[in-house]
Amino acid sequence: MVRPLAEQSYYELLEAPIEGTPQQIERAYRIARATYSPSSTATYSVFSSDESAAILRRIEEAYAVLSDARLRREYDARQRISDVRASVPTTQAAPSAGAPQRERAPAPPVRQSAPEPDIEGAMVPENGIFDGDVLRRIRVSLGIELDEIAATTKINEQHLRAIEGNRYEHLPPPVYLRGFLKQVAKCLSLDPNHVADSYTARMRESSARLG
Amino acid sequence: MRRTGTPSWLSIRRGEPGLPGRGDDVVATPPSVARVWAVGGGKGGIGKSFLVANLATVAARSGKRVILIDADLGGANLHTCLGVRAGERISLSDYFEERVIDLDKVAIETPIPGLRLILGALGHTGKAETTQEQRAALHKAVRRLPADLVIFDLAAGTDRSTIDFFLEADDGFVVTTPEPTAIENAYAFLRAAFYRRLATALSDSNVRELIRVAMDQRNERGIRTPGDLLTAIEQIDRAEGERFRRVLDTFRPHLVVNQVRDTEEVKMGFSITSVCKKYFGIDIDYAGYICFDDNVWRSVKDRRPLVLAYPRSDGALYVRRIVKKLLGTA
Repeated sequence: MVRPLAEQSYYELLEAPIEGTPQQIERAYRIARATYSPSSTATYSVFSSDESAAILRRIEEAYAVLSDARLRREYDARQRISDVRASVPTTQAAPSAGAPQRERAPAPPVRQSAPEPDIEGAMVPENGIFDGDVLRRIRVSLGIELDEIAATTKINEQHLRAIEGNRYEHLPPPVYLRGFLKQVAKCLSLDPNHVADSYTARMRESSARLG
Repeated sequence: MRRTGTPSWLSIRRGEPGLPGRGDDVVATPPSVARVWAVGGGKGGIGKSFLVANLATVAARSGKRVILIDADLGGANLHTCLGVRAGERISLSDYFEERVIDLDKVAIETPIPGLRLILGALGHTGKAETTQEQRAALHKAVRRLPADLVIFDLAAGTDRSTIDFFLEADDGFVVTTPEPTAIENAYAFLRAAFYRRLATALSDSNVRELIRVAMDQRNERGIRTPGDLLTAIEQIDRAEGERFRRVLDTFRPHLVVNQVRDTEEVKMGFSITSVCKKYFGIDIDYAGYICFDDNVWRSVKDRRPLVLAYPRSDGALYVRRIVKKLLGTA
């Protein structure tokens, strides 16, 4: 059972993983902000505008802390302390059999963060080959726009389009391309080296075929 | 989330513990008991039948014996998605009106091997509603069908029979499109299903009365969210409060967003799951989205499932993934 809003940790509020990278925090925040913004179609028949505004305020508060490395470290440290306090004695009740211990203390907040949606998993190819089309599908399935990646990585949007379109003739020299691919992979929570290896191998194969 | 080595999604989770028919081990499930899925969503014209036809095709092609039931008695059209002409053929009405006793005899063949269909055409009496007894009998019969998977294609709306079909299933799918009207109806559908499940799980008469009050969103007790309801129930009976929590923990419908046009609309699925979590306190599973593209349009027009016509489209990938995740095969 999800806890009331007032009791949720910053990770729960953003629905971001506790171990999340800055990119994952950023992505979770963008989705949360879009979800609870006044013009959102996802909330209007459920929450009143006051309720949405209250949630949004908490989300902004969470993001202000989790997007700042120092504040996040301090927050995590405080959470761990309360975590230790809350889990004394150490026997943590199973969710469905928690009645006898429920009154003592809420379960440790940092342990209850929502799992990241794994919808994008469908787009990871079974053969492990990452070409531009696969990268595009994964990006879209994560709800990430191309300009967001451009803003985070400072890579020109045209280059990003060429990568996704497998337009090898428009790509920068291999030494730069590798760096670009690794940065894109990071934004998509993929393994940077694997993506760079796979993409460039594909590109070489294709060039060899052509000529 | 790691992307190298064995992707996490390849370690197939066979289902949630503690739910009927969702054992961790396939061997534990007797082969004669069909798994049941139901696809609903509140609004009409959002692609429920399209999804059902595609899920079923993938499952049948992976070797499962699949039977579809068109439970939209007032507006049945699942047959068209599969390229079957209904005409005057045998239908679910023949079973409800007891002209045919054996449900298996009502299932007709489709062009896809291993996939059969129970048509939902209106019967001679023209009644689209079913009685609770009829539904209970149907569900018993469904579990005895010689099939591995039975999928119900539900009608639009939130009437009692639709919600009951949804709740009886091992896995329920809620389909929406990114339009406000469809989303609003999807929430109404989830709300109706959730409260109905609660009402059947909790036995204290005072608590049941409280649920009835809470179902009206503008009730004078000020119960707006399931969280408010839980607080009120715990004041009456703590054990009922525990049962409430268990219902919450085991109520996990799958969400599919259809007719997605851009990245912004892909995000709508995440937004809906977030709202469900923050409002209902329930953790719904965003199972996938289907793009609104020419491939889908053409497959519908050609009366051919997308997964056969355009197997490499995003929608086809998600449909295969759903089947793989829930059945362990695709």
